Amino acid sequence: MKILVLNCGSSSIKYQLLDMETESVLAIGKVERVGMEDAIFEYKGAGEKIKEIGTILDHTAGVRKVLKALTDPVHGVIKAPEEIAAVGHRVVHGGEAFVSSVIIDDEVKRTLRELFDLAPLHNPANLTGILAAEAALPHAPGVAVFDTAFHATMPRKAFLYALPYVMYKRHKVRRYGFHGTSHKYVSQRAAAILGRPVEEVNVITCHLGNGSSVTAVQGGKSVDTSMGFTPLAGLIMGTRSGDLDPGVIPYIMAREEIGISEVNSMLNKHSGMLGISGISSDLRQIEEEMDKGDPRAIETFAMMEYRLRKYIGAYAAVLGRVDAIVFTGGIGENSPRFRQAVCENLGFLGVTFDAEANKCRGEERIISGPDSKVAVMVIPTNEELMIARETAELVAGR
Amino acid sequence: MSIRTWGIVGTGPSGRGIAQLVATQGLEVIMLGQSPDELEQARRLIELSLQHEIERWAITESEKRAIMARIAMTTDMTEMAKADFVIATLVTDIDQDKEIFRTLDQVCRREVILASNTSTLSITEMASATNRPDRVIGCHFLQPIPRTKVVQVVRGLKTSDETVAEVMALMERLGRTGVEVFESPGYITTRLIIPLINEACQVLMEGVASAEDIDTAMRLGFEMPRGPLEIADRIGLDTVLVMAERLWREYGDMKYRPAPILKKLVRAGHLGVETGEGFFKYDADGDRIKNGRAGR
Repeated sequence: MKILVLNCGSSSIKYQLLDMETESVLAIGKVERVGMEDAIFEYKGAGEKIKEIGTILDHTAGVRKVLKALTDPVHGVIKAPEEIAAVGHRVVHGGEAFVSSVIIDDEVKRTLRELFDLAPLHNPANLTGILAAEAALPHAPGVAVFDTAFHATMPRKAFLYALPYVMYKRHKVRRYGFHGTSHKYVSQRAAAILGRPVEEVNVITCHLGNGSSVTAVQGGKSVDTSMGFTPLAGLIMGTRSGDLDPGVIPYIMAREEIGISEVNSMLNKHSGMLGISGISSDLRQIEEEMDKGDPRAIETFAMMEYRLRKYIGAYAAVLGRVDAIVFTGGIGENSPRFRQAVCENLGFLGVTFDAEANKCRGEERIISGPDSKVAVMVIPTNEELMIARETAELVAGR
Repeated sequence: MSIRTWGIVGTGPSGRGIAQLVATQGLEVIMLGQSPDELEQARRLIELSLQHEIERWAITESEKRAIMARIAMTTDMTEMAKADFVIATLVTDIDQDKEIFRTLDQVCRREVILASNTSTLSITEMASATNRPDRVIGCHFLQPIPRTKVVQVVRGLKTSDETVAEVMALMERLGRTGVEVFESPGYITTRLIIPLINEACQVLMEGVASAEDIDTAMRLGFEMPRGPLEIADRIGLDTVLVMAERLWREYGDMKYRPAPILKKLVRAGHLGVETGEGFFKYDADGDRIKNGRAGR
């Protein structure tokens, strides 16, 4: 069974075609600047990587272009679009309506529209992608895989905010959590590496990238996560503040004489690593400046490590027993220095650290010592594979 | 029809403001100016304005670069053929505007809507210069355009319902609320704010209250972000005077007759924020200077 995985933004399409017999990637690429005359089309299938610039007027034209490349006699990997059994879509927000992946029908699309308010930047683009795939591949069923769904298992005490209860009833203000597909994938991998059933394993998964979140996974189920109603909460991220005293917000608005959109922009785009360091939103650059002794870079790194460690401590208390801690995402997979800084301070959990094993980037590995009470792992995430698996499973079970 | 590229005729404050707004919302702009120098000046001023947006945390440096990259500039009217929607902001007099519309009518695709930002000239008359009077409409943006959330969408005599509906949707795409008005001097906003400013001038001249107290009373009494005299300073007292005189001429009603103090300040070159002094004093950033201190 071949599954096309789509991740659509307002003017972009990221895609992968996977063969589910072998779980291998047949083709991968992206379309950028959709809607423009100088749209960028990238494709890597059989043979050389292709890059073209030309007019791609909308997402449907973009998906058609992808199909053309996939079936190309030279670069293609399939003979006809009909070989694609289903399309898996990454959808950011499932709200309370979607607690797991679903086969897309008219009712699902209607509900997705109702959720636009919760993720105004992402969900409309995701729906555009769904409609484009339906137009270009009318034979293939679509499956929506939600970033929020894995966290649907959180108990009420973890997802409710201590606001007036009507805010939850009236506006659905609660913790939803994000990066669910990634947390799910790496927590399942962790159990497999430990050689134990997922139901018996407690894991703290740290997805650290440009956006970062940490999740307490109990027996394969998310029981708490650091992102909340929006992806702004929790850890210190590239340009997002993470946790904050909510009282700061009206104070800043009054003192800076700014409005809602400006304060939103400040918290989402001007804060985090970039905001504190004044250097960059990229940890690699922060580390370079640390090597030169830049005090703000050193402080930024220390704050990030401290914030994550506080969460690990909190989630250890939530789980009671921790079997594994997983690092994933751009930073989690590629910064030995950051992983080391966190692990060195986790002695209270019985974590010991293998500095030699930690010298890896982007590969699956255990980086805790043999005597460690908690296995610490690096697991490269694979959201596309997870989406393809859930898509294949739903379509097969139809 | 999906509108991706806006044609903007004119590089004045309105043209620049609309260009900044449209490009910030992710759409493309082709800006038409009379000379390369004029366009370069416009580019500098838009950049400066975006720099202020960065300082007030609204956008980032890279967003600013992306916004600027969406604004193309040209002195060649035929470039407007690429636009999906055109707005003329070079409001000088009706004859020149009719000439611009006549040319646009020849250059632009048949289905393209031609709009004007005028608050005083007749849309119907501009439309008469074209072969598509049903596709000619007014879109009056209020200064400061990148921030003000309302646009008066003006129907000329022959503007079609379809055109109005499309422009309303276009305004929504820009995050703006369109209000529909029929062609009439001053529409809603100018017609209501001018008598208010004028009456505030009278209150000041009669010695009833100080400028500061007039504005404070109106601000706090009616939850206005700014009082009428500061509003006048921000519009520009010369502009206020012109608008008042025009309304007075059109309607012949004494309530529009400009207060003498308005004329006196304009003659003294105290035009408001732009010159640093009007009813109040302002610093280079346009912030009020109060008792020698900046800030409101």
